[in-house]
This record gives sequence, structure tokens and C-alpha cells, in this order.
Amino acid sequence: MTETTVILVLVVITALGFDFTNGFHDTANAMATSIATGALRPKVAVALSGILNLVGAFLSVEVALTVSNAVVRIQNSDGTPKESLTSDGGSALLLIVLAGLVGSIVWNLFTWLLGLPSSSSHALFGGLIGATIAGLGWAGVNWNGDGSKLDGVVGKVILPALLSPVIAGVVAAVGTWLIYRLTVGVAKRFTDNGFRWGQIGSASLVSLAHGTNDAQKTMGVITLALIAAGDWTDTKSIPFWVKASCALAIAAGTYLGGWRIIRTLGKGLVEIAPPQGMAAESSSAAVILASSHLGFALSTTHVATGSILGSGVGKPGAQVRWRVAGRMVAAWLITLPSAAVVGALMWFIGDSIGGLAGALVVFLILVAAAGYMYWHSRKTPVDHNNVNDEWDETAERREPAGTAV
Amino acid sequence: MSNLGFALEGAWKVLLAGLILGAGLPVLFALGIRSLAAGAGGGTAAPRPTGKVVAYALFAIVVLGVLLGLTVIVASGFGKTISFDQVYPAIVDK
Repeated sequence: MTETTVILVLVVITALGFDFTNGFHDTANAMATSIATGALRPKVAVALSGILNLVGAFLSVEVALTVSNAVVRIQNSDGTPKESLTSDGGSALLLIVLAGLVGSIVWNLFTWLLGLPSSSSHALFGGLIGATIAGLGWAGVNWNGDGSKLDGVVGKVILPALLSPVIAGVVAAVGTWLIYRLTVGVAKRFTDNGFRWGQIGSASLVSLAHGTNDAQKTMGVITLALIAAGDWTDTKSIPFWVKASCALAIAAGTYLGGWRIIRTLGKGLVEIAPPQGMAAESSSAAVILASSHLGFALSTTHVATGSILGSGVGKPGAQVRWRVAGRMVAAWLITLPSAAVVGALMWFIGDSIGGLAGALVVFLILVAAAGYMYWHSRKTPVDHNNVNDEWDETAERREPAGTAV
Repeated sequence: MSNLGFALEGAWKVLLAGLILGAGLPVLFALGIRSLAAGAGGGTAAPRPTGKVVAYALFAIVVLGVLLGLTVIVASGFGKTISFDQVYPAIVDK
């Protein structure tokens, strides 16, 4: 095995690791409301979401290899890596991708530890941007596109992130308000059962859409790495094992359930009742599908959070914990730069050691960081047993991740 | 046009589609539940048989909306998109 092959293996493992964190970070987007209202038992909810993510990932027949082109310039427009990055056998490109992925995973794990729903795509883009700036300089980043379409960091990441929670929030608030107005005086046995199915249906659509959208990103990144290392040449299709392993990784992550984030979204932000849950998930599903149809890519996380907030604003007399919302918005704002800083740092470490040893050190730093955060999370575990416990704001503020058990 | 222009242009379309499908369909669903409850009667109200018919008609519209959503997801997985150029939605190449 050559040095490049070993680095390639590290990149593939790290990419699948990112896909796994992407899964459990986003379970909450689809299922937090159904779990909080008791429409589905927690374990059933994560199993349903996991299966739908698996199906959704396999539905990705046409996978774009140009994921990274929206924010960085390491690929040509047909998806092949830039020649200047592959002249040394591909390891220049592999190091950028590896460092970027490590930045995204570390940030995803950190926000999970704090129970904050931050965007996995922002973490991925942030990591790649940081590693690219470190490796290629500022000019390696596609900041603003060329003005012919929505493109670049500003057009594909920053503007959609500012607009999407507002859009989803307005839709959910209008839906919630109207649903409450229309069902005044209707017997509880009709509303509870009806809205239960409404929630399950809309949450399932969100899960399926998540599988098709998000698993694709990792498939594209892994295939890019394979092409850079000379192990794959076709830019029109991807190897089947890449598709299968990415589908399994995101589904397994989803099934694991990021209980800390589910708790924050389902119990922390708003006390959700079944009509609100249905309004919130319908809003998320419609906004996500409409935006992907119109080519205006939004982050599922921002949409889902905006929807749940909106469902709190729309219900007369409901309490919205704006302090929790404020913490989330703060996490969103710093996700991209923070992942970028970690990605850049990893690139400098990998590059100064150089070669296989550099890549190995970066990988080991990731393993150590992940292990430390997992160990830390065990001090205040949140799982399917206590995910719905009463939200005590004073206790949550001391230890934002959850209640002590 | 700048990125901001493109973003705002996309945003209002998403908002419009979101309001029609994301708030409109749940409202029809809620109306369906109301009709269903009216159809069954209960308390002091007498059962109204038409309620059930109206309810299922409303649920059918909601199901059509969900099927549209499913089609968008599956089509995007195959690199296709849905065209509304004709009156009915059709699957076309992206």
C-alpha cells in the first residue's frame, strides 16, 4: 500500500464519521416534536427516522460531485479535482479534505455536547473553508460567486441561513394560529388522534428528504477523494460501496438519536402540544422541499428550529424560551467560523509534519477529541428515558446539555 | 444581479409555497378533523352525516399534497425535477 492509499483510507473513515454525526445531529429536526408530544415513543421515533434516512440515501441515484464548489475552489466544474492539487499523487487535496472533515466533526460533537442544534452543512462547509484558506490562501475560497446565480459562501451559506428560520417561523406561526382557531371546541379524542397522525406523516417527509439531501454530500466528498487518489475516474457515477456505506452511516447515526439536541428542540424551546407539532413539521417539510425544488438550498436545522419557534409564537398564550433560542442563534453564528478555525489548525498541523505521519496525527487528534467529548457527555447522560423530563431553566443553565440523572 | 437579489427572489417564492403547502394543508387537515367530529356528534350536538364525507374529501386533498412532496423527493434523488408548466405536475430533467 502506498502512502496516498493509507491517507485515502483515513479520509474515507473520517468522512463516514462525519456522516454519522450528521445523522444524530439532525434526528431532532424531524422527530423532536413527535417525541415531545408523545405521538411516537422515543425509540420508535428514532427507528422510523433512521429507516427513512436509509431509504432516502439510497434514492440518491444522481449524486453531484461538485458539493464543495459552492464554497471552495478545489474542484473543476465537472467535479474532478484541480490538477494543481493532484500533481503530487493527490495528497495535497486529501489533506485539505481530511482537515476540513475533522473541523466539521469536532464542531458537530461540541454542539451536541451542549445540546445545541447547529447546522451540519455549515460545519462541513466551515471545515472545508478553513482547511482551504490554510492550504491555498483566501483566493481558494469562493466568497461571492460570479454574480450569475446564487453562489459562494455569501449566497449559498450566509444569506439562506439568515432567511430560512424566518420563513419557516412565519409559516409555522400562521399554521399554528389557524389550526387552534379552527379546532376550538372540537372533542379532544378527535384532535389528539388526528394531529398525532399529522405529526408522524410530516415528520416522516422531513426524514426522507434529509436522507436524500445530506447523505449525498458525504458521497460526493468521498468520491472526490477517490478521484484525487486515482482510484476512481468516472465523474458521472459513484461507486456502489460509497453509496451503501454513506447510507448506513447516516441511518445508524439517526437511529442513535442525538438525545441532547432532541431534548432542547422538543422541550427547551417551546412546550409543544400536538397541533403545534403538526404545524411545525408541516412547515419544515414544505419549506425544505420547496427550497430544494427552487434550487435555494436551506439548512434543515435552521428550518426546523424556525418552525418550532414559530409554532410557539402562533399559539395564543404559549411560552417561548427566548434565552434558549438566543443560545441557538449564537451557536449558528459561530458554527462556520469555528469549524473553519479547527479545519485550518488541522491543516497546519498535518502539513508541518507532512505526508502520512501528518495525516495520522490529524486523525488521532480527532479520535482523542471525540473520545474526550463522549466521556464528558456521560457525566450528564441524556437518552430515551429522560429526554422528555421537565425543562428546568436554572438547572439547564448550569449544565446546558441536560439534567443530571 | 447580486447574491442578495437572488436570495430575496428565492426567499419570497419559498415563503409563498411554504404558506400554501406548509400552512394550507395542515389547515385543511384541521378542518377535516372538525368535520369528522361534527359528523360523529357527541355532547349536545346531533351527528351530521355530511361531516364525515366532507372530512374524507379534505383528507384526500392533504394526501395528494403529501404525494406531491414524496414525488419531489424521489425525483430529486434521480436528478429530475417537477415542472408545473402544464396545469398538472410533470417530471422533467433538471
